Amino acid sequence: MTRPIVVIAEHLEGKIRPATYELIAFALELRQAMPAPIKVLILGNDPEDMAHLIAAKTGLDVMAVQESNRPRYNGDLYKNILAPLLSELNPDYVCIAQTPMGMDFAPGLAHRLGAVCITGVESVYEDRGRILFTRAFYNGKILADICVQAKTAVLTVAPGFFKPSSADPAAPGRVEIRKTPGGEARIRTVETRKAPAQESEIAQAPVIVSAGRGVGKKENLALIFTLAALFPLSAVAGSRWICVAGWLEHRRQVGLTGAVVSPKLYIACGISGSVQHLAGMRDSGFIVAVNSDPHAAIFNIADICIVEDLNIFIPALIEAHRQKT
Amino acid sequence: MKILVCIKPVPESEAPVRIAPDGKSIQTDPLSPLRMNRYDEQALEEALLIRDTFPDTRIEAISVGPKRSETVLKRALGMGADHGIHICTDIENDPVPAVVAAWVAAAARSRNYDLILSGMMSEDGLHGQVGPLVAEHLSLPCVTAVVGIRITPGKATASVQRVPAEGLRDLLALSLPAVLTIQSGAQKPRYPSLSNILRAKGQDLEIIAAASLSRPESFQQAVRFKYPQKTRFGRFLEGSPQQKAQELLSKLKEKSFLA
Ligand SMILES: Cc1cc2nc3c(=O)[nH]c(=O)nc-3n(C[C@H](O)[C@H](O)[C@H](O)COP(=O)(O)OP(=O)(O)OC[C@H]3O[C@@H](n4cnc5c(N)ncnc54)[C@H](O)[C@@H]3O)c2cc1C
Repeated sequence: MTRPIVVIAEHLEGKIRPATYELIAFALELRQAMPAPIKVLILGNDPEDMAHLIAAKTGLDVMAVQESNRPRYNGDLYKNILAPLLSELNPDYVCIAQTPMGMDFAPGLAHRLGAVCITGVESVYEDRGRILFTRAFYNGKILADICVQAKTAVLTVAPGFFKPSSADPAAPGRVEIRKTPGGEARIRTVETRKAPAQESEIAQAPVIVSAGRGVGKKENLALIFTLAALFPLSAVAGSRWICVAGWLEHRRQVGLTGAVVSPKLYIACGISGSVQHLAGMRDSGFIVAVNSDPHAAIFNIADICIVEDLNIFIPALIEAHRQKT
Repeated sequence: MKILVCIKPVPESEAPVRIAPDGKSIQTDPLSPLRMNRYDEQALEEALLIRDTFPDTRIEAISVGPKRSETVLKRALGMGADHGIHICTDIENDPVPAVVAAWVAAAARSRNYDLILSGMMSEDGLHGQVGPLVAEHLSLPCVTAVVGIRITPGKATASVQRVPAEGLRDLLALSLPAVLTIQSGAQKPRYPSLSNILRAKGQDLEIIAAASLSRPESFQQAVRFKYPQKTRFGRFLEGSPQQKAQELLSKLKEKSFLA
């Protein structure tokens, strides 16, 4: 039998995550280089409805693996359940989203399968009979084309590189339901806290001034706020680094695990331009980047590039504006 | 309690990285200094915070890399680690994560750590795999991208926080020993103290030759490196900061972003 390409669907609180459809788009592209059946696997407490939805939307076969009594993602359990199941399915490729959930179980799963693990895959193509996967190094400054030599490869697919197609399938795929006792996990979810659903002003703002780790310390954020205040209807945002450090509220985070924004003007200050950040702001109208590193990847997507220490440049900009008005 | 912190030496962020003329490897400047991967620095800070609470804690730092990586382990000692283990490689280019993890696990196996910490990923390779793979080698539970750790007194369990998706924070409980990869803490990593620096100066690192360890197959090959395509051909402004500021200001006015 031809060995399949397996896609592990990602979901949260009964909803399929958008990353799942990007993964499927990736698997379809991989299939052009290497004809193989695609099977989508969804693992969870109550995956049946979601499985039918994926099958209807994509026309692909879906296997729903039901593990009762565990409403939340559990990395230990994912590996325990998926490793034997995948050994049985014997795939060439296992496709997982490069999200905090996917990154949590992909390497361990690969190890258990005796597979190689390539994280952050941004593109796939065939070159002289080989399939090559492209991934970034140095926060996107350099890309590498990787050829895998293992029987199975576990791939995590970077966000924003594969656009889900909207074509309606001729017929829904088949859905197979399996139940698993799951067993003991060594990790237990005690509690999940939700940030109160606040309307984030960054979603609407036509101008965003965004801060990255390059601001150096929390006190320097005052500069960013002063700069933003020059623009009517502006908002301050930040990279994940800044938000996780608690320097800005989470709702101001731009990127894969934050908000996706497309203001008319985005000023990136001290942000390196990792793919996860770009996933949230790439479609901004006009992009200005201030970074002390002339090779920062953010400059690849900026309209105006300023190589300066932001702690010198922003005061100069504010002063220049003050003098003009 | 005994903690191992995995520390990767990475090039200074502004040190130029280029592709070798044959397109087959990344060239970093062998003379430019290496620094501690920032996520690993956060991991070390977490370990030091645990020791602040439980003073009988011993912290060991381990690093895989060429000879010059020693400076990074010395810095770890300067920050307060008790012992440094250097798995010394004879090449500048990184081994793949599967190899690094196998080596770290080999060194860690018989030393009975209660906790193994690493950064969630390295700033150069961005693989995010070493921690989870070390956990598999040692059959330990693993939680990645942790943003807070609390060790329960008695120390057989830990509760950790992670951000599984936007706007959510999971509080997880797990038994020790375990592997945690650290995303970032709210605390700034401490600077090396003078007394620790002096102590580190006189202290030998434990050196393990990578060649003495068995090296697993890597099952992958980087066939070529390339620079990313620019999606916008942004203009680099020239001149002094003041001149650049003037020019940006005019541009923003021309586009009606500023009155
Ligand atoms: C699953 C997953 C999800 C993620 N989701 C997100 C997300 O939603 N959003 C996000 O942003 N990240 C996300 N990340 C993290 C992402 O990979 C990067 O680590 C993060 O974006 C880096 O933040 P940064 O650019 O602020 O910091 P760094 O990458 O450390 O960059 C700092 C930059 O500042 C520059 N700099 C330093 N000092 C100065 C100075 N004085 N003046 C000017 N410039 C200076 C440096 O040259 C550097 O380019 C995610 C990662 C993973 C694995």
